[in-house]
Amino acid sequence: MNAIADAVARAFTLLFTGDPDLWRIVWVSLKTSIVGLLLATPPAILIGYVVAMRKFRGRRIVIWLAQAALSLPTVLIGLLLYLLLSRHGPLGGLQWLFSQPGIVFGQCVVALPVLLAFTLAAVQGLDPRYAETAIALGAAPMQVMVRVLYEARFGVMAAVLSGFGRVISEVGCALMVGGNIEGETRTITTAIALETSKGEFAQGIALGIVLVSIALLMNGALMLLQGDAHTARERA
Amino acid sequence: MSIGIHSQISAAVYENEGESQRVKRRDERRKALLGVRGLRKRHGDRLLFDIDRLEIATHSAYVLTGMNGAGKSTLLRVLGGLERAEIDSLRFAGEDVLRVHPYPRALRRAIVYVHQHPILFSTSVADNIGYGLVVRGEKPETVRPVVAEAMAWAGVAHLRDTDPTRLSGGEKQRVALARAKVLEPRLLLLDEPTANLDGAAREQVIALIPTMIEAGSSVIIACHDRDLINLPGVQRLKLRDGHLEHR
Repeated sequence: MNAIADAVARAFTLLFTGDPDLWRIVWVSLKTSIVGLLLATPPAILIGYVVAMRKFRGRRIVIWLAQAALSLPTVLIGLLLYLLLSRHGPLGGLQWLFSQPGIVFGQCVVALPVLLAFTLAAVQGLDPRYAETAIALGAAPMQVMVRVLYEARFGVMAAVLSGFGRVISEVGCALMVGGNIEGETRTITTAIALETSKGEFAQGIALGIVLVSIALLMNGALMLLQGDAHTARERA
Repeated sequence: MSIGIHSQISAAVYENEGESQRVKRRDERRKALLGVRGLRKRHGDRLLFDIDRLEIATHSAYVLTGMNGAGKSTLLRVLGGLERAEIDSLRFAGEDVLRVHPYPRALRRAIVYVHQHPILFSTSVADNIGYGLVVRGEKPETVRPVVAEAMAWAGVAHLRDTDPTRLSGGEKQRVALARAKVLEPRLLLLDEPTANLDGAAREQVIALIPTMIEAGSSVIIACHDRDLINLPGVQRLKLRDGHLEHR
């Protein structure tokens, strides 16, 4: 019991004394997650919108694959990317394995199905009269898309926040593609796994507190947005 | 000789008659805003309607009646380019429309469909009314006075910056009519504009419709509302057993 209390106390010391190693790990995590998410968001939203709005051959297969990809373990995604990025792999020439661009690539792949499936659900759940009204008033296809995504903005924002939650908290892909190199590719989750395996709990607990704080912030923001959406729907 | 002169005169008379017939037919065509031949809509194996001919004249109003499920809304949605149907031929404003799918841009600009329960975008009332003009590339300084005029026309000027989710059914319908009116459509398709409205809200909506016709639009109104059906100068169309009756 004393050991746990001691570890927690040291964790808070690390947090509040601005331990450079700890905050570098947080920075690498945030940077790779945000960049990966930013890269994944436009294509995922575009594909989600098109799949929700258009009827085409193979549409149900795309939906099935996107939803199945949600439950794909990130360690498996990591393994596939490892094979792609390794020296003899098809993308080996990029030299992204065990580097931050590699982690960004991985986070992008991890976030894509979450963003796509949630955007798809948000657009499919929207009243079709929004798109029809925009079309009837003369909007071009791109203008219809902008209008529909704006009307589905709460769902789309929830998709982005969920995607961020998925990438910031995953460990398998970041570990396999990044290699957990100190100061370079060590992220919050890979550091927690490593420190725990070494019996060093203080940094793990400190990083856990950061991760939980980020999760609370993200979910708080989502709840605020959904609160607005519910209020608007009740009035409609 | 006289026979020859007579036959020449007869030929000239017949020619003139032929010419006047052609001019008459051309003028009639010009008056016809929309002419559709062979319009069929199926839902799966079921034929919803099979309309031989539909003629809509310029500056005219029509009510489209029929039992629930007869296909009134579907017919308006087909004409407004929101649903596909089989169409043998279509003329609009004297021009043959060779391809109906995808819906031609010229028709999209000229024909505006308004839903039975119009949905307003989650922007201000003024932005809703100006939306069609904005997406057509009109500049803000052009849009602003047109929107202000339309809001005054629809009696919603006091709602300019109101959140549309706070509007009543009648107010939403009037905003939707103003949103369509600013586009100055050649043909306006109104789907049950007074459905679920009562009292003053219904009367306010009914009062706006003749002024849209006066402004130059032809209007087709799908409805069951006696007061709309009995509006002066309104022609009647009825969908019955999948066929369209002109009355």
